[in-house]
Amino acid sequence: MSAPTRDRVDDTPPSGTIRAPRRLALEPRQEVSRGVLVAVPVLAVLLALIVSALFLRLTGHDPVTVYRVMVRASFASRFGIADTLVSATPLILTGLAALVSFRVRLWNIGAEGQLYLGAVAAAGMALLLGDRLATPVNVVLMIVAGALGGMAWIAIPALARAWLRTNEIITTLLLNSVALLFINWLIFGSRSIWRDPDSGQFPQGQRIPAAAEFPRFGTTRVHLGLLVAVLAAVVVWLVLTRTRFGFRMRVLGDSEDAARYAGVPVRGMVLAVLLLSGALAGIAGAAEVGGLSRRLDPSSLAIGLGYAGIIVAALARLNPGGVVLVAVLLGGVRNAGTALQSLPDRVPMEVAVMLEGAILLFALGSEVLVRYRIQWPWSRPADDPAQGAGAAEGTDAAEGAADPAPGVDAADAAESAGGAAG
Amino acid sequence: MNDSVLAFTLAAAVAAGTPLALAALGELITERSGILNLGVEGMMLLGAVTTFLVASATGSTALAMLAGAAAGAALALAHAALSISLRANQIVSGLALVIFGTGLSTYLGRPVEGVPLPPGARITRTSVPLLQDLPFLGRVLFQQDLVVYATWVLTALTALYLFRTRPGLALRSVGESPATADAMGLRVNTIRYVHTVIGGVLCGVAGAYLILARVPAWSQAATTNGIGFIAIALVVFASWRPWRALLGAYIFGLALRANFALQAAGVTAIPAEFLAMAPYLLTILVLIALSASDLRHRAGAPEALGLAYAREER
Amino acid sequence: MTPAPDPPATAGVDLHPGGRPVMEARGISKHFPGVVANDHVDLALYAGEVHALLGENGAGKSTLASILAGLYQADAGELRLAGEPVVLRSPREALARGVGMVHQHFRLVRRFTVAENVALGDRSQPLVMSTPDVQRAVVALGERYGLPVRPEAVVGDLTVGEQQRVEIVKTLYRGVDVLLLDEPTSVLTPQETEALFGTVRAMAAEGKAVVFISHKLAEVVAIADRVTVMRDGRVVGSQPVASTSVRELARLMVGRAIDLDVVRPPQRPGEVVLTLDHVTVDHDTRRGSLTDVSLEVAAGEIVGIAGVSGNGQRPLAEVAAGLLAPDHGRVVVGGRDVTGRGPRAARAAGLAYIPEDRLGTGLAPSLTIAENLQLTRPHGPVLDRRRWTADATRLMQEFDIRAPGPATTTSSLSGGNIQKVLLARELDAGPSTIVAAAPTRGLDVGAIDTVRRLLAERRLQGCGILLISEDLDEVVTLADRILVLFEGRLVHTCDAEGADITELGLAMAGAGR
Repeated sequence: MSAPTRDRVDDTPPSGTIRAPRRLALEPRQEVSRGVLVAVPVLAVLLALIVSALFLRLTGHDPVTVYRVMVRASFASRFGIADTLVSATPLILTGLAALVSFRVRLWNIGAEGQLYLGAVAAAGMALLLGDRLATPVNVVLMIVAGALGGMAWIAIPALARAWLRTNEIITTLLLNSVALLFINWLIFGSRSIWRDPDSGQFPQGQRIPAAAEFPRFGTTRVHLGLLVAVLAAVVVWLVLTRTRFGFRMRVLGDSEDAARYAGVPVRGMVLAVLLLSGALAGIAGAAEVGGLSRRLDPSSLAIGLGYAGIIVAALARLNPGGVVLVAVLLGGVRNAGTALQSLPDRVPMEVAVMLEGAILLFALGSEVLVRYRIQWPWSRPADDPAQGAGAAEGTDAAEGAADPAPGVDAADAAESAGGAAG
Repeated sequence: MNDSVLAFTLAAAVAAGTPLALAALGELITERSGILNLGVEGMMLLGAVTTFLVASATGSTALAMLAGAAAGAALALAHAALSISLRANQIVSGLALVIFGTGLSTYLGRPVEGVPLPPGARITRTSVPLLQDLPFLGRVLFQQDLVVYATWVLTALTALYLFRTRPGLALRSVGESPATADAMGLRVNTIRYVHTVIGGVLCGVAGAYLILARVPAWSQAATTNGIGFIAIALVVFASWRPWRALLGAYIFGLALRANFALQAAGVTAIPAEFLAMAPYLLTILVLIALSASDLRHRAGAPEALGLAYAREER
Repeated sequence: MTPAPDPPATAGVDLHPGGRPVMEARGISKHFPGVVANDHVDLALYAGEVHALLGENGAGKSTLASILAGLYQADAGELRLAGEPVVLRSPREALARGVGMVHQHFRLVRRFTVAENVALGDRSQPLVMSTPDVQRAVVALGERYGLPVRPEAVVGDLTVGEQQRVEIVKTLYRGVDVLLLDEPTSVLTPQETEALFGTVRAMAAEGKAVVFISHKLAEVVAIADRVTVMRDGRVVGSQPVASTSVRELARLMVGRAIDLDVVRPPQRPGEVVLTLDHVTVDHDTRRGSLTDVSLEVAAGEIVGIAGVSGNGQRPLAEVAAGLLAPDHGRVVVGGRDVTGRGPRAARAAGLAYIPEDRLGTGLAPSLTIAENLQLTRPHGPVLDRRRWTADATRLMQEFDIRAPGPATTTSSLSGGNIQKVLLARELDAGPSTIVAAAPTRGLDVGAIDTVRRLLAERRLQGCGILLISEDLDEVVTLADRILVLFEGRLVHTCDAEGADITELGLAMAGAGR
């Protein structure tokens, strides 16, 4: 500590109380009130809107007009809402993909690539068999194929993580780039069945047979994929809350030691959870092909749906119902981007992406308010004398000792105070 | 392939690998402090667009580069605040940086999309006297621009800093064992802040270099093209060592340029996309091999990478 | 208990006529939530002496040392260095004033070399460090004090004993006058201990004050000039080693009235429910080791394992509970061989396990009470949450778990209630065998009583219980038979009835035979 040493000798009586100087500290919350849970995300969105408004103002646009247009475009008309739901469909599924892995503290960042491979598998299935089968059969087969495609793409990172503890963040992240190159090759670099042989100069994907197209609702672009996505959210919720598998996920995500103690097969669980995550992302790809692009189309697939899913899951605090809500909100933001370009002063549509990122940054930052109570340097110590002492001694590692379950960081501090605890 | 085509290809690989090397060095420094910043792509993009705008407005290369560095630093600072002070999940925070950086830079760059850079602001070739005349090597290494040479100096300085200096030792200890560093009286979080921002500066410079030397017009899609993610992989590939990162960057650069070379040589057996996949797949294999062997304990990531440090927490 | 007499006065007369202590602690008190770790402790350290701090686990030795080394701040009292009052707010400040500590758990960066670890945080180093200079200094210190270390070796590759030398060198490198060694021999082989003693003597001969914290009587007598005995956070005696005896020290360290609160009606043990047959666990730095441990627990008896923590308790408990597969030997639960078959097999054979790490191993911290009560039960693929809530409501009442409801997050409970949740689940499964590790550690008096009462009840109902506890009172109070674990071996066996507490203390300290 290079701070000048305050001379405290004179004002410290021999038997007086010696305290370390107070400073701003974070104190973990035990119970979180509902008010905080609602207020924090609202605050985050507001702050994101304010910061984005600053950028809009600086670049000569009127934020109020922009926001009004965005709301109108995405949430105020029947077709606006429909398009919002179309944008939300893959986000729900990739959000769920992130959710299941993050719940177990596994970091599948590869939903992007798993989505592409799901799309490849589903499109392949439709192109091979679509003509010969009825639509319901096609839809089911495409979804299964999509899930398998996503699972195949995460299989190697998942196996390596389960058996060798290879960091899954980097492996799944890298496979995203490989997957993008792979679908580009299928369409632009090869004469694969996915490519439209008549597309010549400007290669594009072969259109899937009409019998393999996902049905749409009425005259809107909303397709069966939305139902699949919402159903998936319900299933994930049921699995998490009602099944042994979900229970084991929660135990493993909370404490690996407790999981071992309870006899949970840890490796099998890691593998299963990552495969499930990949399957959900793969289904998102299948739904995009079957419901929206109706061909394997790299440019409409590669719009960061997998990365956005991570945001959706984080904003939803890894809650399946929340994923659906946040996905619709972000879907609306994304969808509104296009509407902005029709404004007289031509606001770039990327405002939407900027806003998306800003919301996430502020949501992350404000999350600290949910997890911790902030102890301002000038505020009085908490009522509980023990906690008060703890907060005041934040500078000398005493908390580890005070805690009944020392973890990694302060483990040795706790050990040297083991005498005190025993 | 004759000698001059090879020299040309290698020279191009060095040039293509330079922004990668800069970004990877930045990420390496950040990760050495225990902070994982997946937002390299976002910092590079924002650095690139800021550089372009300032270069267009002032025509000054130096000012434009400074602005790019500052933009990268600003985003890195946001990541530092989130992951160090507010203890947010570093993975999610980094990806938020990618999305925010991409959105903001595309938004800022939309009005100038496709507009060429003022010619005066471009970074041009500066050959090294005498050395440029070396056979073969001269053409590969010494007929480049100043940033390429600066990258070598930077790599050397980073290696020196990390392994020979007092602050470098402190930096590594913070990434390996923050509790020990804390016990030895080092200010863990301050050290992490500083090096996260330094990482952002280098990523911003990498973006600036892309605009000023490689793609002299702004276009979001064409500018970084996923280089930011390769840079993150490179750090792993290089086992967190500066010289290996530089070498790895040139190998990746070669892979990026190999298409042209092979096409020039009339080789079409391997599709370009597969060639481009090779570096990623190789990195994954290296990662798996490392974790399968005992090497992990020696060559692996800083032990506290990705973990927030709070003394009073359990 | 009355506070101890002022030790510097007596000691000063005996050993240091007219000398002034290099470091002094006066009236130091330190509270942790629910525990008084130090209660008006006085201590004086003189140049050139080896001063032992002796006491059981929990006596407050480590806390006192941590206060001297600046790691903790005392709630009350003052420290003096060479007669001047000082406030040591951090280990760095303490080090700067010549007070260094070697902790039981080393503060080393595993992937750094020895020289790097020694130089870390030293501001007197030039900006660009000269590795050869540091290396030479390390070698020189090593030669001077008998601490052979290779400065270029990577710390993670060294044995624990070598790492300890690095810690000592690191402290010496900063030029300390007072060196605190916290349980330094607990990680050493006998040969290494002998070498350490050489180092300690060399340091004292150079005029440094060395504080040697230990619970091993034989070592204290062998190395120390003066000994201060602590018990329950207080100093109970301080005198020159020459004027005392091992027996006297054992009495001071352990000797307190044993309260037989729990009624232990005699009963005839039934058939054997748990057998460990020549179990050996090879050394594993995380868990410790076991050497050729054989024991039997019969229905209706409590077998107590006494011993200072870190002597193999953890592997013993984990082997018995099926979490750790022994390298040699067999584990039989309820007549079934469950060796290496995992925790579920041991449970299926009728075993319940109360691990030392309640929250984190025994219970998942962020799960609810109701969920934790089901953690180890067999489940069908679909959970029956309604039954869980009903179970939880019943058990919360039965075991008097104080919480807002079954959906309360477990980590928000008090230590006593957390332990009750764990006991409720484990005991409700109707086990025939219970392995309980440190079941009352860190609990308040009321909860301690509850836990002991529950275990005594189960004994009467015919459970066989293996009670592993570092609290000797607890073992003596509850157990029918007592085994003493020392360095992974069972070194002493006796009936609890009429057990000689001094004998047990000696055995626990490795001085039994």
